[in-house]
Amino acid sequence: MAGIYIHVPFCKQKCTYCDFASYPKEIGKEEAYFACLYREMLGRKEELKEYTFNTVYFGGGTPSFVKPEHILGAMNQIKKCYNLTENAEITLEVNPGTLTEENLKIYKKAGINRFSIGLQSGWNEDLEKLNRIHTAKDFLLCTSMLKREGFENFSADILLGLENQTIEKVKKSIDLAVAGGVKHISMYALTPEVGTPIYTNYLNGELLSDDEVGEIYEEAYKYLESLGLYRYEVSNFASLGYESRHNLNYWRRGEYIGFGVSASSFIDERRFTNSFKIDEYMNLVILNKKPEISSDIIELEDAMFEFIMLGLRTKEGININKFEVLFKENFLTRYKDVLKKNEKVLDLNDGYLSIKDEYLYVQNHIIMDFMK
Amino acid sequence: MSKNPSENIRNFCIIAHIDHGKSTLADRLMEQTGQVSSREMEEQLLDSMDLERERGITIKLTPVRMFYTAKDGKEYTFNLIDTPGHVDFTYEVSRSLAACEGAILIVDASQGVEAQTLANVYLALENNLEIMPVINKIDLQSARPTEVAKEIEDIIGLEAMNCPKISAKEGLNICDVLESVVTSFPPPQGDEEGPLKALIFDSYYDNFKGVICFVRIVDGEVKIGTKIKTFMSPKEFDVTEVGVFSPKLTPKASLKAGEVGYIAASIKSIEDIAVGDTITEVGNATPKPLPGYKKVLPVVFSGVYPLDGSRFNDLKDALLKLKLNDASLTFEADNSVALGFGFRCGFLGLLHMEVIQERLEREFDLDIVTTAPSVSYLVHKTDGSVMNVDNPTHLPPVTEIDYIEEPMINASIFSPPEYVGAIMELCQQKRGVYKDLVYLDKLRVEMKYVLPLNEIIYDFFDSLKSRTRGYASFDYEIAEYQKSDLVKLDMLLNGEICDALSIIVHKEKAYERGRAIAEKLKEVIPRQMFEIPIQAVIGGKIIARETVKAYRKDVLAKCYGGDVTRKKKLLEKQKEGKKKMRSIGSVEIPSEAFITILKTDNK
Repeated sequence: MAGIYIHVPFCKQKCTYCDFASYPKEIGKEEAYFACLYREMLGRKEELKEYTFNTVYFGGGTPSFVKPEHILGAMNQIKKCYNLTENAEITLEVNPGTLTEENLKIYKKAGINRFSIGLQSGWNEDLEKLNRIHTAKDFLLCTSMLKREGFENFSADILLGLENQTIEKVKKSIDLAVAGGVKHISMYALTPEVGTPIYTNYLNGELLSDDEVGEIYEEAYKYLESLGLYRYEVSNFASLGYESRHNLNYWRRGEYIGFGVSASSFIDERRFTNSFKIDEYMNLVILNKKPEISSDIIELEDAMFEFIMLGLRTKEGININKFEVLFKENFLTRYKDVLKKNEKVLDLNDGYLSIKDEYLYVQNHIIMDFMK
Repeated sequence: MSKNPSENIRNFCIIAHIDHGKSTLADRLMEQTGQVSSREMEEQLLDSMDLERERGITIKLTPVRMFYTAKDGKEYTFNLIDTPGHVDFTYEVSRSLAACEGAILIVDASQGVEAQTLANVYLALENNLEIMPVINKIDLQSARPTEVAKEIEDIIGLEAMNCPKISAKEGLNICDVLESVVTSFPPPQGDEEGPLKALIFDSYYDNFKGVICFVRIVDGEVKIGTKIKTFMSPKEFDVTEVGVFSPKLTPKASLKAGEVGYIAASIKSIEDIAVGDTITEVGNATPKPLPGYKKVLPVVFSGVYPLDGSRFNDLKDALLKLKLNDASLTFEADNSVALGFGFRCGFLGLLHMEVIQERLEREFDLDIVTTAPSVSYLVHKTDGSVMNVDNPTHLPPVTEIDYIEEPMINASIFSPPEYVGAIMELCQQKRGVYKDLVYLDKLRVEMKYVLPLNEIIYDFFDSLKSRTRGYASFDYEIAEYQKSDLVKLDMLLNGEICDALSIIVHKEKAYERGRAIAEKLKEVIPRQMFEIPIQAVIGGKIIARETVKAYRKDVLAKCYGGDVTRKKKLLEKQKEGKKKMRSIGSVEIPSEAFITILKTDNK
């Protein structure tokens, strides 16, 4: 089973921490952009005809910011070109301030059955500083709208590391999300990327330190679990059965195809990424060329490491049997020394190797030991 | 080539305190004799090691041959042997002195006579060299050549009023120096017809020619085909090449009595040649070897380990090659729980240790870990036996020790009078015993102290310099052993002794040092997944404790489809840093930790 990712690079305005391909100034190009997306999908039809897809994910940018007909169009094109399973998980990222009932009806028609809501914080002062277009109240309006339309599988994003953030404030944000009825929370630490406005705040020392984030995270993690949202990956928490299948596929090193500007793919041991420039992307597609700008064949060593690096992010860990089938190597022999060195921090249970709960958030050094 | 009868040869060296302009003068002499044109002149030609140029010091002696037509119309051959200035390299100096008849003594026109100046003068006198003072840097604003000349006469007792007063930097009065070399220094004595007798004063290994011996021919002649042997090795060799230094190796037909040059004889094994040994001819051997050199004993010891354990043999090769032209370096295989296989090396001093470490890293491309330097202690055991311990790990259990003796030094510290108080305080801290204080003149005092060597091998020199704004200089000689109250201080990381961090220290200073080292370790050990307790322990008793806190967050914030390649690169970068670490049990320590902990009381 494989996943499909569609990048929608349009936003009303850019958030201060955003370094994704999103173009507030390029509004008006949506029609042309989606035309290109359809064309790109068609272009890969032959190549991917053997594949069956069981997840679709619309990410951005703000997919809920463009006309819902575009989403419907994209879904129709996917169904036309690819084998999509009956019960596929189809996720749309939404901004709480952009959702309307009319739009929801069209999403439903498109087959969207999961929503990922960019809440980020339950505090309006934070949202303002981040240049978000919504308020805490918008979030509750958004979730009640979803529930009225019969949706129950939706998630909220929460950011850690914001200026003056405390565990109490984070708990309040979680409370808000839970009050809205989310079955899933993604809780990310803010990563100030060079070139984003928030990087200045970072340089000025206004954001929380790694230690402070780590402390808040541990508290928040316990709090989330106490609310029945259990951690199935470093940054992702869900009620049983509401884990994101699309994202789990990444961490199990499953294959996926990405469409649109900046989208990445992993097909047949090859990782490739589309152009980050919207005009270049569209030009290439119009010329019937692949819009890829980088492509790497993953060699065996690297593949094994990726499998471990991704797998150890999850609660379940690495499926050792699967490793041996994929790479034709005995896992326990190959990593004997690493396993010995890290025995205090690793769990080996029922054919799965995972990092103990208390070390999941400080895992880089463990993972690095698996690197040659 | 008998155009140069030994009458016209002058073999000399230049001695000076560090930074008084020795290498600059050597360059100027070569330039003026046309040995190198000023166009192709690279600054400080003789300091060919990168390390020497960077630090502006001379470490290795380097010979060069020059031709000079004197005022008497005759052409003279000059063999100049450049020498190091630092106290640690006294041994190198004495080696070059034995190959010379004269020594140019450079004195800085503003700084005057310094500790090292004196030390080198005494060495030169011991070797029966003629000494010619030269006052350098007369171009400086602060130059006081007449006063300095008087200083030389008063302190050293050399006639100096009419000596050359020059500026090597500006090229002023260099011809005075060249002329004085002819008139002040005697030509070499020696019997050209007698059996071959040549002193090996240096050597190095060449991949094509084998060992190259730097020699001073005392008697006889050596040419290609001469069958030679040395006194210390039974092996015989056929000479394949002889030549002189110009300053690059330049082949010649033969070398005769009085000359300085090199010999190559397809000597493949480094062990077959010892610096200080005498070369003679097979079948026509000289009955008695030259006195050779006083064997120098290392006084500072430290463990040297390859960062990558699999490079043990490379390290061994490198040390062997270094030893070839640095006989003062000693080493033997050693094994540490924390660091694996390596060598316990003996050095002449701290600078010597640093230089060897840097040469290992630069010239042999090795990443090494070095442990805290130690001196050699005499441990008197309760069973009456005495053992030498230069590695704290080898110290027997307390119950088996009757008492320990440590090596002392006689230190001479020269300084302007205003720093006397600061120096006394420093010496006091270092367990020094005051002996004497002499006013050399209005501006300089000489203080004499007896100090334990183990107190000065850490940071004494740096502290002295910083307390006297760089004015004080320091010289020492090893004195006798003294009974002392010494204990072994161990460092525990995460509850386990790290043998590479153990030191032997005076009981009264143990608490302070233990605390300082623990604090320093806390600074240099990066935070890890676990909390790491650091404890300083003496005989089972914990005297200091610090904790390296565990980090709270060390994770890639998110990792989805598009992130994999980028995040993998981030991890690879993080891993690079980790590779510079040594794992000791479950704790990772950066390799420089072992040395930086020494710089604990540099206030």
